[in-house]
Amino acid sequence: MRESWDRRVQRAEQLVADSGPAASLLAFYARLLRQQRTVYDSLDDRTLSGAIEQDAALIAGGATAVLEEVAAHGPAPLVAEARALLACDASAIRALLVDHWRTRSDRQFFAKAILQPYGQRLVEAGRTYQRSASLSGERCPRCGGAPQLSILEAAGAESTDGGSRTLLCATCLTGWPCRRVRCPACGEEDERKLGYFHSETLDHIRVDACESCRRYLKTIDRGRLGLAVPLVDEVAGAPLDVWAQEHGYDKIELNLVGL
Amino acid sequence: MAISRRAFLQSSIAGGAALTAFGFDVTPVVAQAKTLKIARTSETRSTCPYCSVSCGVIIHTLGDRAKNAVPQVVHVEGDPDHPINRGTLCPKGASLEQDILNERRLLTPQVRRPGSDRFEDISWDAAVDEIARWVKTTRDATFIAKDAKSRVVNRCEGIAWTGGCTDTNELNYLVVKTMRSLGVVYLENQARV
Repeated sequence: MRESWDRRVQRAEQLVADSGPAASLLAFYARLLRQQRTVYDSLDDRTLSGAIEQDAALIAGGATAVLEEVAAHGPAPLVAEARALLACDASAIRALLVDHWRTRSDRQFFAKAILQPYGQRLVEAGRTYQRSASLSGERCPRCGGAPQLSILEAAGAESTDGGSRTLLCATCLTGWPCRRVRCPACGEEDERKLGYFHSETLDHIRVDACESCRRYLKTIDRGRLGLAVPLVDEVAGAPLDVWAQEHGYDKIELNLVGL
Repeated sequence: MAISRRAFLQSSIAGGAALTAFGFDVTPVVAQAKTLKIARTSETRSTCPYCSVSCGVIIHTLGDRAKNAVPQVVHVEGDPDHPINRGTLCPKGASLEQDILNERRLLTPQVRRPGSDRFEDISWDAAVDEIARWVKTTRDATFIAKDAKSRVVNRCEGIAWTGGCTDTNELNYLVVKTMRSLGVVYLENQARV
């Protein structure tokens, strides 16, 4: 729904106004979210087939706005890449999108940013996809994407009611349930090898880490902050990414600011 | 972009600005990360001991597992993945954290003497000796070998046992064995889980 993009943009703008240490990241992310919303608006699920080879041309039509925004306001490496893509013909962008849809690399900034609105459109239209056999770990049951983050829902009025855990897909931005005590990367369920790192400074965000595979992802606890918009607050929790990566943990899926 | 996940760290170490994998300057983020007080907490699944419903719980234990650090339970909540309670707990189960952390928890045996209006502390050795003596005295005085129709019953009606809901399986096993060997028939140990 378009409202979900509005909420993301508003939350990002709100966090930028708070002037936290991640404000510059969030300022860029707010710009990107606005352009992703434009891509989302440009897509009509009645004309989408669900096959990336056929839909890539439709998606690429709206991708120019994303490329131009990043070329104007992004960091140097992304600016160079955006300009190169803008200089190419549409077939290069189509090939980029098709390749990313098949291989799903979190290093492909533009393909990931442009395909997120597409993925969300398809899921809202009730489309699902064949999961690739080569993908490992917890994967989105709808599109096969890796989890960007997890969400702890506020279960009830009592703090002792345990909230369920949902993983948010990095590709189609929809959630699917996951066990609380389980590593989404390797499936580890030994409680002695799992744990979370938390700071009162970022009270509603925690780092869920696995000692077996040394991977992590951030969890947004909506029981602690109901106003949180997970995708945006995950970016605002950038200091925790820095801390986790300095301590030798690898993130399951880099977000759109590269953390 | 062929940039490793820790590229920003490498540039930080090299003395330049700290950059993310996509080239964003995160110098202020790195500065805040250095000031964060990070605590490690583990989540352990367990079962509420209070009744036969056997609700699933998750126990949050603070501590980095260092040898000189004492783990500390900081929160107990219902397990949302447990098929019985789906994350919810009754008011008694919701107080489980206080079963673990409670300054009023008894740390020594206590006894209330005949005619007294209060319990007093007693050492473990004295408690064991006194219990053994009273069990022997009471059993000898109240043991029934045969009933009114001369049938062998070998029971002791002068002693009763009741256990607590948080008693372990192992304790309850030993209680049943001990009480049956004494002939105790008034026996309840709340073995449920």
